[in-house]
Order: sequence, then structure tokens, then C-alpha cells
Amino acid sequence: MGKQKSSYKTALEGLHHYLSRYLPISRSEFQHLLPYIEIREYDKKAKVTKEGEVERYFNIIARGLVRKYLPLKEGEQTTQLAVEGHIIHSELSFFYRTPSTSVVETIEPTVFLSISYESLEQLYKQHPKFERIGRLIITDLFVRKDHRFFDQLRKNTRERFLDYIKTHSHMLQRVPQKYIASYLNIKPETFSRLKHLMRPAKKS
Amino acid sequence: MLDTLKKYISGFVSLTNEEFALMANELVIRNFDKRELLTRAGEVENYLNFVVKGLVRKYFYKGRTEIITQIAKEGEFINSSASFLSGNPSPYLVETLEPSTFLSVTRDQLERLYENNPRIERVGRIVITHLFLQREEWEHECLRLDTRERFLRFVENNPDLMQRVPQKYLASYLNMKPETFSRLKHLIQRPRTAAR
Repeated sequence: MGKQKSSYKTALEGLHHYLSRYLPISRSEFQHLLPYIEIREYDKKAKVTKEGEVERYFNIIARGLVRKYLPLKEGEQTTQLAVEGHIIHSELSFFYRTPSTSVVETIEPTVFLSISYESLEQLYKQHPKFERIGRLIITDLFVRKDHRFFDQLRKNTRERFLDYIKTHSHMLQRVPQKYIASYLNIKPETFSRLKHLMRPAKKS
Repeated sequence: MLDTLKKYISGFVSLTNEEFALMANELVIRNFDKRELLTRAGEVENYLNFVVKGLVRKYFYKGRTEIITQIAKEGEFINSSASFLSGNPSPYLVETLEPSTFLSVTRDQLERLYENNPRIERVGRIVITHLFLQREEWEHECLRLDTRERFLRFVENNPDLMQRVPQKYLASYLNMKPETFSRLKHLIQRPRTAAR
């Protein structure tokens, strides 16, 4: 119990640090936020949001590894891989209050710092400073999304692969290869072949 | 001219007349001929534009090929959004297809509005969220629907654009070859003539 409490404390300190990157927040301002935050824990391979369910939460990962995917006729298309400090949830469902077409599922045991839709609305209403932080976060997410969208259109398979392993080497250790291949929209066979191409240099 | 914008915003948040006036005060009216560039590649986007009248496309060059990522008409926003929001140079070009009129706001003006009025900041947050979700929805459509389904969905939602936008642009926007676009267009026209 004691150990758990101290790890929650670390998680919340992490959250304070995270939000302060967008806008400096004093200790007392951060205290305003705390009653709205829920700490949610999941085992590995647990479904956090199911298809058809309305997404209740906006989640920041305190610890763990999570993926989001679209179930399709022919398999699953991974649309996001997220680790500590990343935001993951079913956005369309959360904001439009409609049944989710995506599934959010943990890969490793995961701890989320979450805020429900209702709490978020209340928080914005009562503390305009957090509305500003909300605006800055969604702006940042949009810019990143646009960047990824642009890369998908502009780059070929090989370039996308090379870019990803350059910028996400930590993910290669933790995430099953098939999920990364799906995320990059590359066939698993192609992914293996590309991975092979990179190795010989190291061995010789 | 302001009515269209007011209507758009009231879909998200109800602003008082004073709040709306405060915002309207910062807007500039900009007129462009057809085939004029609003934004060049490599420039930082300085404006957010609400289309009052006209038609605009956003695109980038992949080698020599133009790839269109947005087509905007009356009642919609267009600019090189990521550049506007991040301050980084735009990889996109923004160009009018028809003579167009915009209500535009600069980054500095927008920041000042946010600074002075939390309710306008709320509008900003919600509009950006909306843009984010539109992009998400588009990505999902590309993954879930095949070429034919995407074409039919587009035609259903944008019958007017079929008349106004050159076919090769629509094909580029829908990420299909112009030949494929022509073939699909044929498919939807046949039943109508047969019925007559």
C-alpha cells in the first residue's frame, strides 16, 4: 500500500511536470486539478475501451504501454502506440459522445491518470487556466497528427521504417513487431526484411 | 458577411453579441482572384481564413506531383494549419480555385483575443478539437473504406463540389488515379439515365 501510494505521488508529479511544459502551473493551481483526476490500473492485454462503447476518459499514461486499433474485416489496423507521458483514448468517441469504432488495449500492465468527460467540462468551466492548457494540448496533438499524416503521404515504406527506428528505438524493444508493422502500414514480411537489412553492418 | 461565421461558431458555443463584436473587430476581409496563392511552401502561415465566398485547395508537391489534402468551400476554415499553430514553415501551398472572400485573423490577433477573453479561448479550443477530429475521421475512412466506398461517401456529402472542382483535383484529394475516378463517376450516373 505504502509503495503504491508513493508511486502515485511520482505519477502525479509527472503530470504536473507534463502540464507545465504547456503553461507554468503553481502548486496550488495543480491542487485544483487533483479532485478531477482518477488513477486507473490495468493488467497487460486488457481492453480499456471496447468497440461500440462511448469513451468515458481522456488518459495520460503514467506507466505502461498501450495500443489503439481499428478492427477491420481483414484484421486489425494499429493507429497508435503510446508509452509513459503519452495521451491515448478513443478521441472521436470521447468528444462526439458516439460509440467508439476504435479499441484501446494495454500491451504491458498500465497505470493511467484519467479525467472523465464530465470532469473535464467542469474543470474548464471552473478554472479557465486549464481551458488554456486544454487548448495548447489539443493544438500540439493536431500539429503532430498533421505531421504524421504528411509523412504517410510523402514517404515510401522504406523511409517510414527508417525514420521510425531512428526516432523510436525504445519502442522496438518493447512493442511486438507485428504492431509496429501495422502502425507503419507495412506488411509484417516487409518489416522483417527491412529490419534484416539494417543488421549486417553491426555484426561485421 | 459576419453571419456565416456567427452561425458556424454558435454551433459550438453561444457567444454574446459583445463577445462576437470583440472578435469581429480583429478580423480582416481579404479578397483573392482565382488561382491566387494565399500561402507558399516554406513560408510560415500567418492567417487563419474563414471562407465567406469561393473555393480553395491546400496541397503539397511530392516530386512533381501535386497532392491535395484539403478542399474548402463557404462556411469552412482553411490555412496551412500546422504551420499556423506551430510557427514552423509550411510544407503546403494554399491556392484559390475560384475568386474568394475570406474573414481572416492573424496569429497575433488571435493570441490577443484569447488573452482578453476566456470564452473566445474556449471557441478556439473547440474549433481546433474539431479540426483534429475531422482529420482523425478522414484517416479512419481511408483505413476502413475501399476506393469505391470512399468515392460514394464523398459524392453523397459533397454533391456541389462535383460540379465546382476539376475532376483531377478531386481524384488527388481522394487519393485515387484520375482514371479510377472517371470510372466510378460513370457508375453513379448510369442508373439515373436508365430511369428516364
